[in-house]
Amino acid sequence: MSSTAEANSSGPVLAGAGIGLRSAHHQALLRERPRVGWIEVHTENYFHDGGPHLRELDRAREDYPLSLHGVGMGLGSSEPLDRDHIARVKRAIDRFRPSLVSEHACWTCHDGEHFNDLLPLPYTDEAATHLARRIAQVQDLLGRQILIENLSCYLSFRSSRLTEWEFLGAVVERAGCGLLLDVNNAYVNSVNVGLDAVAFINGLPTAAVGEIHLAGHARQIVNGREILLDDHGSQVPEPVWDLYELALRRHGPIPTLIEWDTHLPELSVLVGEANRAQRYLEAAHALAA
Amino acid sequence: MPSLPEIQSSFAAALRGSPASMAEDINADGLEPTDRLRIYQNNSRAMFDGALERSYPVLRRRVGDEYFQRLAHEYRARHPSRSADLHWVGQHFPDYLADTQAGTPYEWLAELAALEWACETSLVAESRPSLDLASLATLDQQAIGQAGLELQPSLRCVPSSVPILDVWRANQPDGDGQPVDLSKGPQHILVSCGAAGLELREVPAPALEFIRLLQAGANLGDALDASDLPAESLVEVLGLLFKADLVTGLRPLPEQAA
Repeated sequence: MSSTAEANSSGPVLAGAGIGLRSAHHQALLRERPRVGWIEVHTENYFHDGGPHLRELDRAREDYPLSLHGVGMGLGSSEPLDRDHIARVKRAIDRFRPSLVSEHACWTCHDGEHFNDLLPLPYTDEAATHLARRIAQVQDLLGRQILIENLSCYLSFRSSRLTEWEFLGAVVERAGCGLLLDVNNAYVNSVNVGLDAVAFINGLPTAAVGEIHLAGHARQIVNGREILLDDHGSQVPEPVWDLYELALRRHGPIPTLIEWDTHLPELSVLVGEANRAQRYLEAAHALAA
Repeated sequence: MPSLPEIQSSFAAALRGSPASMAEDINADGLEPTDRLRIYQNNSRAMFDGALERSYPVLRRRVGDEYFQRLAHEYRARHPSRSADLHWVGQHFPDYLADTQAGTPYEWLAELAALEWACETSLVAESRPSLDLASLATLDQQAIGQAGLELQPSLRCVPSSVPILDVWRANQPDGDGQPVDLSKGPQHILVSCGAAGLELREVPAPALEFIRLLQAGANLGDALDASDLPAESLVEVLGLLFKADLVTGLRPLPEQAA
């Protein structure tokens, strides 16, 4: 990819704490211009040819660095890569010049049917190789590195032979991609499938961690067993803040995003969460200095 | 050990309703594998239903949550999502309703769905610079009937046998939600998206057909003939199109095309 094209399709280096921007908050963001480091949107919501939401994001992008976070590429699926979908992601990159582009370590479709959910992969060498090969193809097609996010899970496979962090480390090494560390997902998995969240965070390759996500979850009792649902529908719980502090100590002051997708509060609440993350980041900066 | 494609095939079967196919490869850890799989089933269904609700809020309000969920469940069985982009989940919903509600007192729901889908797609269409009425004066007035109009990509022509716009308005968030007398007669709607957002206009049936033909590429003369639009109404309809910024170009006359 030419350096000019690369420069044209990349935004500034992200720093500090940002907020996930949903369309319900577009007008408030443009009106109030809150002091947050950056914003992130779901890429697929900006695939269209026109409309108010695209124009609003154009305006928001003038004032805020942007990250594009995709949910539909299904990089771990056994179906062929969806070239049309990738082309739409490329078009969004060219229009909005994001600083980061990310997807998930998951599969999403089978036999032409899309389940519109982030489905888990077994932690096997076969799956790591398959996922890494497709990530590398997509990075070539997009002309840039992408970050891959760890998934929240409601089950674990007997056929898994690697730990989750070994699996992601293998993917990073083979694909040359980055990692988006979702600390809430690590905590959710510690309850749902017995993941050692501390070992997970400590076991990830620091050089690959390019972004952190924080979010809320919901507790449910299913046949007497506690399960956490990754619904992004509440404030970041205290145990997740504790894990986040550990992640910053381990990996340094990584740009951090507050995700809130359901039961949306006022924008000021989201900004308040970002401000809290910013204080943790500043403390981590001070420690690193 | 099952291969990755085998695991995904079994998992997909579980999501479609056969969780036993997957249970053997899942650690229980205090919860039956089928219960764990059910969480994914519920998530996938919720994502599908949520997308349909966002595309058809008026229909959902009109029929109620319970009946809408039943329709969504049946629709999904016939038209599972074929795209990673959730916005397209509902594209076959009008046709599904036309098929399943035909001959029942609810067959008009298909027309309401068609209007809502027109709004949905209009809202995300490209917006192009518009021409003003004066641009028509640049054409050879003797052969103006052979000229064609390029119209905004957001424009949708929605015929209906019932007062569908009245139903749509009554079931907006600020509407009273009261049932509309469907015997009042048809309404034919032009849907477009401008700088101020979605615009819905009722027009007479011949005008809608005239505009639909223009949109399909017919020249002014052929569209007039085929639509039964009275000649004396032509100026009014053209005025509406230009005033609403719906005309984006003029197709050249044959002698200008070379």
